[in-house]
Amino acid sequence: MAKTVLVIGGGPAGLSAAKTLGKLGIPTVLVEKENTLGGRPILEGYHTLIPRKMTPSQVLAPYIEEVQRSSSVKVKLNTQLVSCEGTAPDFKVKLSDGEELEIAAIIVATGFQHFDPRRKGELGYGIFPDVITNLELEQMFSKEGRLYRPSNGQLPERMAFVFCVGSRDRQLGVTNVHCCRYGCALSGLQASEIREKYPQVEVFCYYMDVRTYGTWEYPFYWEPQEKYGVRYVRGRIAEITYSHSDGKLRIKHEDTIVKRPAEIPMDLVVLVLGMEPSEGTKKIARILDLAQDPDSQFLIPAQESGSNVISPKAGVFIAGACKGPIDIESSLSEGEAAAVEALAFIGAKVTV
Amino acid sequence: MAIHEKSLIDPERVLRKDKLLIDGIDISGDWNLIILPRVVQDYDLKFLKEVMEEPEGKTILQCYQCSYCTASCPVHNYWDERYNPRHFIHLARLGLLDELQKYTDVMWRCVSCHKCTHRCPKGVLVEEVVKAILKAMSKRGLIEEYPSKKFDKFFFDAVYQYGRIEDGELLFGWIEKQGYRVTKDPLLKKPIPFMGNIPQWLKELALKPLKNMNIGFLLLNAKHMLFHPKTKEWNRFKQVLRKVLEEEGTSVS
Repeated sequence: MAKTVLVIGGGPAGLSAAKTLGKLGIPTVLVEKENTLGGRPILEGYHTLIPRKMTPSQVLAPYIEEVQRSSSVKVKLNTQLVSCEGTAPDFKVKLSDGEELEIAAIIVATGFQHFDPRRKGELGYGIFPDVITNLELEQMFSKEGRLYRPSNGQLPERMAFVFCVGSRDRQLGVTNVHCCRYGCALSGLQASEIREKYPQVEVFCYYMDVRTYGTWEYPFYWEPQEKYGVRYVRGRIAEITYSHSDGKLRIKHEDTIVKRPAEIPMDLVVLVLGMEPSEGTKKIARILDLAQDPDSQFLIPAQESGSNVISPKAGVFIAGACKGPIDIESSLSEGEAAAVEALAFIGAKVTV
Repeated sequence: MAIHEKSLIDPERVLRKDKLLIDGIDISGDWNLIILPRVVQDYDLKFLKEVMEEPEGKTILQCYQCSYCTASCPVHNYWDERYNPRHFIHLARLGLLDELQKYTDVMWRCVSCHKCTHRCPKGVLVEEVVKAILKAMSKRGLIEEYPSKKFDKFFFDAVYQYGRIEDGELLFGWIEKQGYRVTKDPLLKKPIPFMGNIPQWLKELALKPLKNMNIGFLLLNAKHMLFHPKTKEWNRFKQVLRKVLEEEGTSVS
């Protein structure tokens, strides 16, 4: 009987699952579509991760190192799952490199993708160079180490964060009605970082609600305001235009507290992107026939289980952002939880 | 073209000239009418710095607009809904001065009960912050003299001179300042209550202790009216006060 565990996805959740399995000496195969491990934080070049304010390599390098060193974990890069037949604990899976494996349990950690802001045409992304995404802002920090306006390379005098782009939005269909969970906190952190490094830059956050839940309230909402003087304005940005007269953007919104429409000049506008299930997540859901949320298409755990890493399909476990927006800390702990659940599942069926 | 519902538009946003000739064409009256948009065009971000430079304004950044203060405020609850400290803080932070100026007539109405400050979950010293906003506005010349501010000055002058106020003098002096004719006795030039062209309610107020025969209160008031009470050693403290006021740049009479 098969004893191998298949981990799909080499991002934070997949890495943490593989690391745990490797530590326990369980034969594990980790497949990753891209040519490097680390998932979105490494691939996209994030600068600082919430909530611990550490860099992606600080957080993920120990995981990658341990997975690569482990004798029981086999890492297969540039590889995808093609098909899966049979039932647990006797899955017969086929990979894109032609290899066929006998697998006892599967951990799905296929993650998310960032919302494409071109779908919100009124926000001018892709039209005005000074409208950027919060992902591009992260890359600006991590790759170039300085803040500038893409149109002229100069430091902006004032900039705005536009919350909930691609989140909580029925206009995009039922797929994007959920909250992205990380946006408020990350914007608070980015705004604080900017104000700390460039006190002369005025930073504004345009919000509907500020959802820095739990212990995130102080570091990512109070501190940006109290310590760094970031200004929060309640009102969703409805349109972004450009004025040739002064070369600045205009953000059109209603200040709902003042109850007046406003078109405020801005040098740089940052769109805070929502999270969507990745293409890989949707594909794996089809191959493995996993339950998905009918609206968002994120994977959903078994209803009868209190755990959120157990899928409705026996022997398949789900972890990380394939189940909905999540922060890195929870993603890592879900990977560990899924690994242990998979282990218990195999232990019940297989004599080790 | 006539606007049918002109009353619905703020008068300051309606531009209209009764007589206007452009290139020999007569466009007098409604033909030249322009309605300015309600859109906020920009913030005045320097204003927040000016508020925070006031010693009372330091805590303004801590506000997260929950309105605990306004919900507790007796002025808002019992007097005028336009007195809303939470709103003033928001406007000051963004420097929306045209909006702030709409409230300059009510912004002085704080009765200093300090409920807002004691209850604020974020530790904003609300009452002080509102005063700091007023100070910053006043330094920019955005506030005219409002009746309550004039009264504050009148009240202060009495305190500055004697260390305390005298009820009769304050009341009748203020009434006189408002343009009423107050009858005074020829010798000490003290006002005679319930005589002269003073408002009816004041006459009634002055007569009330007489009617109720509250002799003690009456005698005390009469004594104070004739001989203005003064705080012990006030002159020494007055020198300190004068010095502080001079350092603050306030003119002292």
